[in-house]
Amino acid sequence: MSHFLDRLMFFRRNVDGFSGQHGTVTNESRAWEEAYRQRWAHDKIVRSTHGTNCTGSCSWKIYVKGGIVTWETQQTDYPRTRPDLPNHEPRGCSRGASYSWYLYSANRLKYPMMRKRLVQLWRAAKNKFGDPVLAWASIVEDPAKAREYKSARGMGGFVRVTWDEAEEAIAAANAYTVKTYGPDRVIGFSPIPAMSMVSYAAGTRYLSLIGGVCMSFYDWYCDLPPSSPQTWGEQTDVPESADSYNAGFIMMWGSNVPQTRTPDAHFMTEARYKGTKIVTVTPDYSEASKFADLWLHPKQGTDAALAMAMGHVILSEWHAKGRGEYFLDYCRRYTDMPMLVRLAEKDGKLVAERQLRASDLPGDGGQANNPDWKTVAINDATGALYVPTGSIGYRWGEQGKWNLEGRDGSTGEEVKPRLSLAEGGDGMAEVSFPYFGDRAPDFFNKTSRGEIVTRTVPVKTVTLKDGSTARVATVYDLFLANYGVNRGFGAEPVGATYDADAPYTPAWAEAVCGVPRAKIITTAREFADNAEKTNGKSMVILGAAINHWYHGDMIYRGIINLLAMCGCVGQSGGGWAHYVGQEKLRPQTGWTPLAFALDWHRPPRQMNSTSFWYAHTNQWRYERLSLGEILSPTHAGSLSGSLIDFNVRAERMGWLPSAPQLADNPIALSKAAAAAGKEPAPYLVERLKSGALQMSCEDPDNPRNFPRNLFVWRSNLLGSSGKGHEYFLKHLLGTQHGVQGKDLGEEGGQKPEDVAWHAEAPQGKLDLLVTLDFRMSTTCMYSDIVLPTATWYEKHDLNTSDMHPFIHPLSAAVDPAWEARSDWEIFKGIAKRFSSVCKGHLGVEKDIVLTPLMHDSPQELGQTHSVKDWRKGECDPVPGKTMPAITVVERDYPSTYARFTALGPLMAKVGNGGKGIAWKTEAEVEFLRKLNGETSVPGVDGKLARIETDIDAAEVVLSLAPETNGHVAVKSWASLSKITGRDHTHLAIPREHEALRFRDLQAQPRKIISSPTWSGLESEEVCYTAGYTNVHELIPWRTLSGRQQLYQDHPWMLAFGEALCLYKPPVDLKTIAPMLGTRSNGNKEVVLNFITPHQKWGIHSTYTDNLIMLTLSRGGPIVWLSEVDAKKAGIEDNDWVEAFNINGALVARAVVSQRVPEGMIMMYHAQEKIVNVPGSEITNARGGIHNSVTRAVLKPTHMIGGYAQLAWGFNYHGTIGVNRDEFVVVRKMAKVDWLDGPRLTAPDADLQAAE
Amino acid sequence: MRTTAKILSALLSYPTEELRSALPELLDALCADAALPAATARGVARLIAALEAGDLLDRQEEYVRLFDRTRSLALNLFEHVHGDGRDRGPAMVSLRQIYDRNGAMLAQAELPDYLPIMLEFAALAPEAGLPLLADAAPVIDSIRAKLDARGSAYAGALAAVLALTGKEARATATAADSAEATPEEIDRAWEDAPVTFGPDSDPAREAAAAAQGGAQADAACGIAGIIARMKAAKGAAPATPRPHAR
Repeated sequence: MSHFLDRLMFFRRNVDGFSGQHGTVTNESRAWEEAYRQRWAHDKIVRSTHGTNCTGSCSWKIYVKGGIVTWETQQTDYPRTRPDLPNHEPRGCSRGASYSWYLYSANRLKYPMMRKRLVQLWRAAKNKFGDPVLAWASIVEDPAKAREYKSARGMGGFVRVTWDEAEEAIAAANAYTVKTYGPDRVIGFSPIPAMSMVSYAAGTRYLSLIGGVCMSFYDWYCDLPPSSPQTWGEQTDVPESADSYNAGFIMMWGSNVPQTRTPDAHFMTEARYKGTKIVTVTPDYSEASKFADLWLHPKQGTDAALAMAMGHVILSEWHAKGRGEYFLDYCRRYTDMPMLVRLAEKDGKLVAERQLRASDLPGDGGQANNPDWKTVAINDATGALYVPTGSIGYRWGEQGKWNLEGRDGSTGEEVKPRLSLAEGGDGMAEVSFPYFGDRAPDFFNKTSRGEIVTRTVPVKTVTLKDGSTARVATVYDLFLANYGVNRGFGAEPVGATYDADAPYTPAWAEAVCGVPRAKIITTAREFADNAEKTNGKSMVILGAAINHWYHGDMIYRGIINLLAMCGCVGQSGGGWAHYVGQEKLRPQTGWTPLAFALDWHRPPRQMNSTSFWYAHTNQWRYERLSLGEILSPTHAGSLSGSLIDFNVRAERMGWLPSAPQLADNPIALSKAAAAAGKEPAPYLVERLKSGALQMSCEDPDNPRNFPRNLFVWRSNLLGSSGKGHEYFLKHLLGTQHGVQGKDLGEEGGQKPEDVAWHAEAPQGKLDLLVTLDFRMSTTCMYSDIVLPTATWYEKHDLNTSDMHPFIHPLSAAVDPAWEARSDWEIFKGIAKRFSSVCKGHLGVEKDIVLTPLMHDSPQELGQTHSVKDWRKGECDPVPGKTMPAITVVERDYPSTYARFTALGPLMAKVGNGGKGIAWKTEAEVEFLRKLNGETSVPGVDGKLARIETDIDAAEVVLSLAPETNGHVAVKSWASLSKITGRDHTHLAIPREHEALRFRDLQAQPRKIISSPTWSGLESEEVCYTAGYTNVHELIPWRTLSGRQQLYQDHPWMLAFGEALCLYKPPVDLKTIAPMLGTRSNGNKEVVLNFITPHQKWGIHSTYTDNLIMLTLSRGGPIVWLSEVDAKKAGIEDNDWVEAFNINGALVARAVVSQRVPEGMIMMYHAQEKIVNVPGSEITNARGGIHNSVTRAVLKPTHMIGGYAQLAWGFNYHGTIGVNRDEFVVVRKMAKVDWLDGPRLTAPDADLQAAE
Repeated sequence: MRTTAKILSALLSYPTEELRSALPELLDALCADAALPAATARGVARLIAALEAGDLLDRQEEYVRLFDRTRSLALNLFEHVHGDGRDRGPAMVSLRQIYDRNGAMLAQAELPDYLPIMLEFAALAPEAGLPLLADAAPVIDSIRAKLDARGSAYAGALAAVLALTGKEARATATAADSAEATPEEIDRAWEDAPVTFGPDSDPAREAAAAAQGGAQADAACGIAGIIARMKAAKGAAPATPRPHAR
C-alpha cells in the first residue's frame, strides 16, 4: 500500500521540532501578545523632558492614548557627534522612567486648596467688606486673626477652593502689600530657570511688573562656587560632559558622577577605555569611586590641604625648576601671575597688599581712563613697568584694548611680561603669610605651628606718583612662596623635601587630611605630566560636596590653582568641571527680558537669597561664629562686628542687594519727594544721610521691614533647600517648630553693631505663602494657598543643561489633569485678577528701585583701595558708587495683565544684551509681531507682539537669544568685537541664518549657536568647554586683571587672609555642647559630622514620595553611618535613630555601612517630611528634614561688591548657604511615636513623659 | 437601582453647598428606590446626616483629608490596583473606552477610575457599569473597612456600593493597616516574592505566571480585561498598594 493518499500535497503538517530539535512549535493561544500590541497602539508620541534640576535634560518619548499618558521611553534621535567621539545616547534614568506614574498618583495635587481657617476668615471678611483688598487688610491687621491662620501652617486642614477664589485672595494680598508696605515686600522664590524657563518666567514676569522681588537660588543652594566669580568673573562655566572623553587624566573630586549625572557618566567611563586615568577624591566609598584607578579619601572638609600639597609638588617639580615651557607661557598670558603686588609693613611685618595700579605710577602710567583699575607688570625685555591691555579699566570708557593680546596699553606693542623677579629684581624680602591650620576644631587634625609663616620673596622697588617708593613682588613669586616651594632663596627653612613638616608639603598634608604623602605626590606628578604632554588635558570634575563648607572657597581655589599652573583651563579635555545643578540657561539673554519684564521696566528687583533668609528667618539672632575666629592673623582687630553687620554694610555700600529695600514704602517716598518739590534720588540720599530714612536691613525685625507675601513655584523650599528649616517655621511662618537653642538676647551674647535688636523676636512675619506644585510637597503642607500646576508632560516649555549643548522642549502631551494649570496660565490668571482688584488702591505709580553696583556694568568700578561707609560719615552717599543706584520706575498697576501678555516697547527702544555686551533688537521684535500676532496695551502707541500662550513666550526667548537665533549671535559677537578690538563674528557667521522655533525643538533636540554670553564654543570641531574663547579668542576674563585672578586683593580679602589660596579648616558652629547628654533617652550618644549629599533614589525631593523609588531603598528617611560609630552608640542597621543639635532634630532609619568613614553621618538631602516620618523625642513634633539641624552662616568675603569681578549679579556672586561644618548628636530612639493621635503641645508632652 | 447608584456617586463626591441642599431629596429618593437592604440603607442615611451636620467647610476638610490626602483611601480605584505602576495608564484607557462605547463621554476633569464616575456610569448603563463595580468589590470593600476603622460615615456609602453589586462587605482592616501594626506585620504585607535570575531560576513557575498574565491579557481591551485586573488585585487589595504588583 503506498502512502500516496496519506501524503499532503498542498498543506504541511505541523511539526514538533525543527532545526535539529533546537526549536519547538507550540500551539497555545498567542492572544497575550495583544497586550503588547495595545501598548504600542498609541494615538501619538510627544517629546518632552523632566524639569527637576538633575542636569540630564534628556529627551523622552511620551506615549498618549485617549488623552491619557500611558508611559514613556527614552528618545534616541540626538544629532550625531563627531567620528572620534561617542554619541550622547542612551540618556534617561530610572527616575525619569518612573515619571509618568506621578501624573495620576494619589500624591498629585488636583485642585486649588486653601487652609480652612483662612477660608473662613477670608469669606467672612469678603462678606463684610466686599472689596477684596479691604477684606485682606481686616485679616492681617488683626493680630488674633493673623495668629489664628498662621499658627495652623503645616497642620493640614486644607479645603478645595475655586481658581477664582484663590486668585482673588492672592491678588488682594499682593495689592494690599504693595499699597501698604511697598512692592518689595512681595517676594518670589523659584530656582533654576534652565529646567523650565517659561514656567520660571511666568512668576518673575508678574513679580517684576508689580515691583516684587525675585530671589536668587544658586548661591542659596550653595551650588555657586564663589571661587569662580573670584577667579574668572564668571558665575560658573563648565565643559559639556562629552569633553570628559577628551581628557587624558580625570580627577572626580567630591562629585559622584555615576549617581548624580547618570545619563552623562558614560563619557567618563568611555574615556577609560582609551586609557584615561581616573582618580576620585571622596571621604566615603562613593559610587564614583568604583570607576577609579585610585581612590583618595581625605577627611571630609580638609580637601584644600590635599590640593595645596599637590600644588606644592607641581610647583616644585615644574615651575621652580623652569620645567614645562607650556605651563610658564600659559601662566604669563592667561593668569595674573606677572602682575605686581604692593608689599607693606604691618605691625613690623612685611605683608602683601593690593595689586599695583596704573594710578600708583607717575603720570598714571600713561592711562587717562580708569587708571585705578589697570594692573601693572614688568616688561621682560626691558625691565620697565608697563600697563598691559585687558585689565578691567580697559573694559569701560574706552574701546579696542580690552583683550589678551599681551600689549602695552600705551604703545600698543606686544610685550612679554616677567613672571618672576628672581632675576632682575632688587633682592629678597621676608614676607609674612597667614596660616590657619592651628584653628581646627575638635575632630579635625589641628596643627600647632603658629599663625604666621615667613617666606623669602624676590622684590623690586618702584617709585610712585607721589615720589615715595614701594616694594613690589609678582603674584607668581608670592604664589610659590605661599605654597612653601623651595626655590633656593636664602636660608629658606621650608619645602626642602616633601617630608618636611611645613605648609604645604605632602607630609604636612598627610597629617592634616590623612592621605598618604606618596599618593599625593604620585597624583600630582601624573596630573601635571599629562597636562604638559597634552597641553592641558587634565580635568577635575568637582561638585557641591566640597563647596558646601564654610571655607569651600579654599578647596575650590586650591583645585583651580592646580588647573591654572598646568594650563588646563580653556583647553578641550581639561579644566574645571563643576557639576552641581542645571544652572546653564543657554538662551539667557533672550529669556531675561521675558522673565524680568525688561521689555517694560528696568531695572528689576532681585535679591540674594542667603542674606535674605538669614535676616528674615532670624537665623542671625542665633549666630555663634565670631569675627575673631575667621579674621586673618595678619589683620587681627582690623574689622569689628558680627556677620550680619557685614551684610548690612555691604547692602548700604551697594555691594549686595536689599529686600525689602527701604523702611518706607518706595511708592510713598516718591510721592513725598514730589510733595517736597524734589527729585526722588537727591531726596532719598538726603534723608538717608540725615538718618531720617533707614534701610530695611538695619532693622529686619521691625514689622515695616517684613517680607509679607511669598510665592514658591518649581521649588520645595521648605522640604529641600531651606537651611535652618526650623528657624523658617518659627520666625517666618510662626508655627510649630523645633528650634532648641536660645538667641543672643536670651544668652547674653555679643549683639550686632549695626542692626537694631528687639528683645522679642517676631514670629509669623509672612502674611501669605502661596505654593505652586504638582504634588503635595513639604512646602505645600506649610502654605496658605496651594495651586496645582501642570506636570512636565502637560505644558510647553524650554529646558537646557550644562551637560550637553542641546536645547529641549517640554511639551503638553495631554491637558493638565484635574484642575491643574501650567505656571504660565496660573500667573497670567493672577496678573489678570490683580489688575482688576488693585483698581481704587493702585494706579500709575512711581516706584523707587535700588540696585547694587552690578557686575558687567561700569558700576563694577566702585570703591577701590579702601572701604568707606557713608553711614559712618567716611564718605558721601553717591548712588551707584558708594551706595546702591537709584532708579524711578513708573508702574501702571491696572495694566499689569495687558503688559504681562505683550512684548513691551523697551526692546525696540533700548535693545537687549547681557554680560556687558549690548545690541539692537528691532528686527526680532518686528519678527515676533508677525509670528505671535499683535495686541495693544493702554498707554502705549502702536501694536506690540502678543505673548498669550506658553509657546508665544518660548518664541520670544528663542527669537531674542543669540544661542537660538543666528542673526542675533552675529550681532552680539560684533558688539563684543568693538570692545576687544578683535573680530569675533567668524564664530557665528556659519550659522547666521539659522533660527530655532519651538516646533523645531519638538522635531529633534537642536544644538545651540555660539554666543559671547558663554566662554565656550558650540562648533563642530571642539566640545564646549569653559574659558575656551578666553584662551583662543583672547577675550579677557571679566576680572580686575582681565586674566584668571589668582590673587584677590580687595581689603576684605586681605583682612580674612584669602589673597592667596591656603588651607582653612572647618569652623566650629558650637551647636553640640548645650545638647550633648542633657536630653538623655537612655541610649548612648555619639557626635558626628553631618553631610548631605545628593541621592540615588530621587532628584532632590522629587521621587522621594514615589513608591517605586521608595521601594528601591528603605521606604522612608535614612541616614548612613559607619560600623565603628554604630557600634559605639549601640545602633544596628535599620534602627530608628535621631540626630539633633541646637538647631533642631531629625529622625531616620540607620543604614550601617562600610562605605562611610568614622566620624561622619550622611543623610541624602531632601527626603520629604511627609513620607514615613515619625515624631522626634527632642522636639515632640514630626521628624524634621535634613535642614532641621542646619543653620545658614554667612562669610563676609562673599559680600564684597563694586569691585571688578567681585561685584554683585543675580546668582553670580554673594553669600552662599553653607551647611557642611555642622555636627549632630546621634542616638538610637527609645520610642518611635507616629503621632497618629491628636496633637500634643510641648507642655502636654512633658507632662505625659513625667507621668 | 439606577437612582441609588447616582445617589452614591453624588455622596462620594466632594461635598458642596449644592449637594448639601439636595441631601433631603437624596434621602427620599434612596428610600423610594429601595435598592438596598434596610441595614445598608441606614448606613447611607447616616452619611447623609453626617454631611448635613455642622459647617460645610468642616465636611470639605474631612473629605480632603480622607480622599485627597490619604493614599490608602483614594477613590481613584486603580491607585489600589496598579499604584504608581506602568499599567495604570493603559488600564485607564481601557476603562475610558468602555464609557465611550456605552455613549458616556467624560465631561469632568476627573480620571475614569474615580469611584463616583464609575457609579454614575452604573446609573447610566447598569449592564456595563454594575459588573465593573462588582469586580472592583475587593478594593471597595477594603476602603470601606479602613473607613470603618476610622469611624467615618463614608463607610456606609461604600458598603452600599457593595450591596448594589450583590457583594458582601467582608473585609476587616488588616493588621498592617492599623496604627498598632508591628513592623513584622507591615513587612509581611509588603513582602514580594524574590526574583531569581540565572541557573537557579524556575522556568516552570515563570511559564505558569506568563500563562496567567496571558489569560488576563486575552481580553485586555474589554470589560473582561478590567475584571481580570481587578481580580488579580484581590490578593493585594486589602493591604497597602504594592508597587511591584505587575
